[in-house]
Amino acid sequence: MTLRTTNPVLRALVSLKLTIACLAALMVLVMACTLAQVKLGTWPAVEIYMRAWFVWWDVPGTELRIPVFPGGALVGLVLLVNLFLAQLVRLELAWKKVGLWISHAGLILLVLGEFVTGAFQVESQLAVEEGQTVNYVESPRELELAVIDVTDPAMDDVYSVPAARLERGGAIPIPGTPVAVQVRRFFRNAELARLGPADPPSPVTAGVGTGVAVRERPPVSRDDQTNQAAAFVEPVAGGRSYGTWLVSNGLGAPQSFTHEGRTYQLQLRSRREYLPFAITLKDFRHDVYPGTQIPKNFSSLVTIANPSRGEQRDVLIYMNQPLRYEGKAFYQASFGKGDTLSILQVVENPGWLIPYVSCVLVAIGLIVHFAITLRRSSRRRQAASEA
Amino acid sequence: MNLKRAVPWIAFGLALAGAASSLLPSGKPRGFDVEAFGQIPVLEGGRVKPVDTIARNALLMIRGKQSASSEGRSIGPDEWLLDVMFRPEVADRQELFVIDDPEVLGLLGIQQSRNRYYSFATLAPRIDEIQRQYVAAEPIDPKVRSHFQSAIVNLFERMFLYHRLKNTVQLEGTPGLAAEIAARAGPGAPQRHQLLVELAHFKPLLPVTPAGDAWRSVGEALTGTTTVEPGLEQWARLGLAYQAQDAASFNRSVADLAATAALGRPDAAARSDHEWLFNAAQPFYSGMVIYVLALLAVFVSWLWRPVLLQRLAFGLLLAGAVVHTLGLASRVLIQGRPPVTNLYSSAVFVGWAAVLLGVVLERMYRRGFATAVAASSGFASLIVAHHLSVDGDTMEMMRAVLDSNFWLATHVVTITIGYSGTFLAGALAIGWVVRRHLTRRADPAASKAIVAMTYGIICFALFFSFVGTVLGGIWADQSWGRFWGWDPKENGALLIVLWNAIILHARWAGYARERGIMAMAIFGNVITSFSWFGVNMLGVGLHSYGFMDKAFWALSAFVGTQLVLMLFALVPARFWSARRAEAAAPGKDRPEGASQPV
Repeated sequence: MTLRTTNPVLRALVSLKLTIACLAALMVLVMACTLAQVKLGTWPAVEIYMRAWFVWWDVPGTELRIPVFPGGALVGLVLLVNLFLAQLVRLELAWKKVGLWISHAGLILLVLGEFVTGAFQVESQLAVEEGQTVNYVESPRELELAVIDVTDPAMDDVYSVPAARLERGGAIPIPGTPVAVQVRRFFRNAELARLGPADPPSPVTAGVGTGVAVRERPPVSRDDQTNQAAAFVEPVAGGRSYGTWLVSNGLGAPQSFTHEGRTYQLQLRSRREYLPFAITLKDFRHDVYPGTQIPKNFSSLVTIANPSRGEQRDVLIYMNQPLRYEGKAFYQASFGKGDTLSILQVVENPGWLIPYVSCVLVAIGLIVHFAITLRRSSRRRQAASEA
Repeated sequence: MNLKRAVPWIAFGLALAGAASSLLPSGKPRGFDVEAFGQIPVLEGGRVKPVDTIARNALLMIRGKQSASSEGRSIGPDEWLLDVMFRPEVADRQELFVIDDPEVLGLLGIQQSRNRYYSFATLAPRIDEIQRQYVAAEPIDPKVRSHFQSAIVNLFERMFLYHRLKNTVQLEGTPGLAAEIAARAGPGAPQRHQLLVELAHFKPLLPVTPAGDAWRSVGEALTGTTTVEPGLEQWARLGLAYQAQDAASFNRSVADLAATAALGRPDAAARSDHEWLFNAAQPFYSGMVIYVLALLAVFVSWLWRPVLLQRLAFGLLLAGAVVHTLGLASRVLIQGRPPVTNLYSSAVFVGWAAVLLGVVLERMYRRGFATAVAASSGFASLIVAHHLSVDGDTMEMMRAVLDSNFWLATHVVTITIGYSGTFLAGALAIGWVVRRHLTRRADPAASKAIVAMTYGIICFALFFSFVGTVLGGIWADQSWGRFWGWDPKENGALLIVLWNAIILHARWAGYARERGIMAMAIFGNVITSFSWFGVNMLGVGLHSYGFMDKAFWALSAFVGTQLVLMLFALVPARFWSARRAEAAAPGKDRPEGASQPV
């Protein structure tokens, strides 16, 4: 190794030992993350092991949390620094090393891409029934309390409070309106049932929730489970209380109250992001192989209407064939309601092209490097057999 | 001298001839042209296949074997299916249902004995009890079923399959299809037709429109018809003839049915013939036998006539590779899909790629060593594939998200080649360990050559597993918008990439020498087997029973042997049998790669 430095810190940072240690630590993390998914589900396992700087251990019986292992983000960062510096310090600029240069550059890009994804990727869903038009996407995990002024039949004013704010409790003034929402209690996961004689009396005084018992449940995280959140909220306007209401994403119809001639709806729902365009589902198809129930194809024929661009056109979204539009990609993900409801996965990731570039770079680099190595070793063997 | 040159070719030719001999017509049992019957195309599981495939898969599922015994002689799957459909009273007495679970036997009031097979007639009196237990066990999630529950569900499903086969062409207990056709407008006919529609296991009648793929069951063809189509009438005559054991008439009906199919759907008939040929040839079974012979030849060569026998072994390996390739190519043609579509085909493909790499290595190094490793890898992977095939049709249709020949051909094939390379490197390392501990001859050059081969194969594996993994990410990005989702299968592939990268960097840095590299290469087997099979078991969890239960123990045992072999690899040189190799040439024991990357 031609080290051009004597600084011990730099030497450690560029050493191959550190590379190997990082790769090994990454293997441990990946393994742990994989096994943890069985119990926790994908999302929390990735948050705990891969996207964190440290893996924490809650000491049982205490409030103490001890970092027990570097997390994926830290290992990735160290690996990135190590790769980058090694490139500058250790690897000589020679033609026989060109393959390693290219593939390492590709790897740096790949790790960077994963950081970009971790920081910027937003995943949401768009559920649309045949004939329906939808102009928003919904978060699969986060909830919001929507306070909607529906007085004007042509247009709704939507104010939303993220569930994280509800969890803190207290009074939340809704900007632009005289209304403030007082959060009495918030449940991250709860079971709703008809209020029985054995249940404690409900604090709810208005809306459909008066006859409903709310039983707290431990929050779940596995991929096949969803939380049913609930909250007791009390809208207050102009010094007057409009009663305590039960809101939950498990309740179907919105509930409303009227204050000074304006009608407000209350709804706890998946967090929405409104789009500058609308999508209409014209037809959903679910084909099976003849004589079986094995799905052959799912496809959604949708119309995009974008007034700002004066655009109106049909698009067919099907397996392995997403629609990329306005920085978002729409994928056929699921379906329901007797094949009349189509659920599209919507992903926004500004770094989506990075892995493509890095893959090509690494592959070319490895081919070049191994070709050079193979040529040299076969030349050596030839020389040995001639000698 | 001439003989030596000819030996590999003779071995090659003889092995191929042996494999081809299974294609010779096997004669007509009792005068019935059972083979021609097996070639008739029908629709099942979403694709057109020969009756032979249905018979084989059904018999494999019910009995665990591709043969049964009836009236004192061994019968093949096609003859068995004929008995089930047209002579159920004979089939009911055949010992078909393999039952291993003592609790299920206890439920049936049978003591466990050496005989594991029971006839339908034996089980029939207890069928209500079996069904009662099935209804209780079936709603339980397969992951948490007890041993007994899994076994009873499995038994009931096999009995139900048997029942459906019996009622596919004609209803059991009725005079037969001919009578059914005659009484098609009579009283009770619609109910019987409906029953035939519901119970049919396969659809034997061609679609009405020449281009459509709506094949029809007997019940569907009978419903509301006044005219009788030729196919229906031919099946009826075939049934009558077999019932009456009239070979001549049976053979005529079979020929007529074949002609109807060839005329109506020439493409389906040709494909079905090809698949029948593939079934009859059993290329993967022949390949297994040839690989074992090659392996034996290498073993003997270490004791006697090394040069001659090594050539012979290489000839056999080549023959095995050809048979294996033909089998793989046939599957690709029949299915119209790239070679890897499910776990079964990945096992076949992993072995195939390892064998081809072994052939290349043997050409480069010519020591017989690569032949031995390649033959054992090919054999081992075909054995694994065989054990994966008992679940039914190995050419099932692809679910919608997987229905992309482009990605199956690129991502899946590349990643499987990556598995294959990592396994081959591990196998080479195992060979190196075994050789070190068993041979007394000092041969540092050979040892060096093996290390060089392993190194080369690890480079190869790193390339393919990396490219395969990233291609998988790109496929995921294309189909659900997530380049990397930390899904167990993705993680498994990433582990292989990381491990191969660690091996190569440890070698380049000089941290691991010969022994270390070899031990690490063997650990590559553990990593690969985890990401290939282990992650599939994760979803199953700790309470898994039945097949995956067995697979879990097999995997654990495999990992255990690999760890032991790693220990053997790491044992210092003075404990080796071949230690004189090191002692004789201390100057050559230079740590390679210590100074710079190779």
